[in-house]
Amino acid sequence: MLRRILAWTAAVIAGVVLGLGSAWAVLKFGGSSFTEHYGHWVFSRAAGSTGADPYTRAIIAREGLLALSAREAVYFSLYTDEHGRPLSESCVYELNGRPLDARWWSVTLYADDNYLARNTDSAHSIDATRAGNDAAWVARISPVRGDATNWLSSREARRGFVIMLRVYNPQRDFHPSEAALPVLTTVSCAGDTP
Amino acid sequence: MKWGQYVLGALIIAAIVHFAAIIAVPRVLMNVAMQRFGEDGDNVWHLAERITVASQKIVRSSPDFAYSACVYDLSNGPVVIAAAPWDEYWSLSLYGDNTDNFFVIDDREAHHGAEITLIKRGTPHPDGASMIVESPSTRGIALMRRLAPTASTYSAAADVAREDVCAAVVQPTN
Repeated sequence: MLRRILAWTAAVIAGVVLGLGSAWAVLKFGGSSFTEHYGHWVFSRAAGSTGADPYTRAIIAREGLLALSAREAVYFSLYTDEHGRPLSESCVYELNGRPLDARWWSVTLYADDNYLARNTDSAHSIDATRAGNDAAWVARISPVRGDATNWLSSREARRGFVIMLRVYNPQRDFHPSEAALPVLTTVSCAGDTP
Repeated sequence: MKWGQYVLGALIIAAIVHFAAIIAVPRVLMNVAMQRFGEDGDNVWHLAERITVASQKIVRSSPDFAYSACVYDLSNGPVVIAAAPWDEYWSLSLYGDNTDNFFVIDDREAHHGAEITLIKRGTPHPDGASMIVESPSTRGIALMRRLAPTASTYSAAADVAREDVCAAVVQPTN
């Protein structure tokens, strides 16, 4: 009798641990499974939607609470460089963008915890009001500004930070594609051999 | 065979706990957000400080917006929400307690501002209200976004935001 009680107790504990662990894994790593990919940009049309399935809703709640539905705004996230490596504070990147068929856009850098990187550089984002939306633009992503006109500071962003592109009031002509979205290029990384 | 029933039991419990957690996560996170935005009480606008490292309250806030949030509570009847107009992009969006964005209106549709009467889905529509929106949940968040990427535009947007209204409709007494 005691063995049965112990066995069922172990089964319940194992079930709870497995259930919570698998749910955590889905929330932590499952984002890419429920999204569209354009190059290395990740996009979920279901963000904020009343038609989102429970998994998408949970992932969006964790990564982008209070997102607008796609009718109003679309959100793209970039987690890796052109080689598929996680974005890192120890690297310098260049982001090249073109005009988007939208009323306004912005590019914001968040640390790996999805909050603004804890630095005092006041360079967490660039947007269409500063970079313009009628010509190509370029921004540098690095821990120090140097001579960059448009700069996103990655100081204190550590490894695994994310670049988020917001596109507000997208026109009917706006169709996400690898060619339309900004292109990230790694300029250098600390430790690279010259 | 005996061990099989324990393994099967563990797997069934794991599946139940897994789905319960997935369903619960949005509501738990919304409750956290409602607690943070609702420090001044329900049915009142809370003007967020300009988004900085020190002031950010939820994940992935944009430093280019002036945000105002109102935690609405429809348990005592409708709530009136009014948005004052802003020269740049602005929008009023409503979120249910499961994070769904069930309503949004922006300056393209309401150039001179917007006023809505928010009711719980399934309750009678009040007389005289011009724009009625049904909420799928009793509580949720109304969020104003005003494009204000600089300190000076944020300051101007904050002045405008003080004209916004979020208030319970006074019910007539019999």
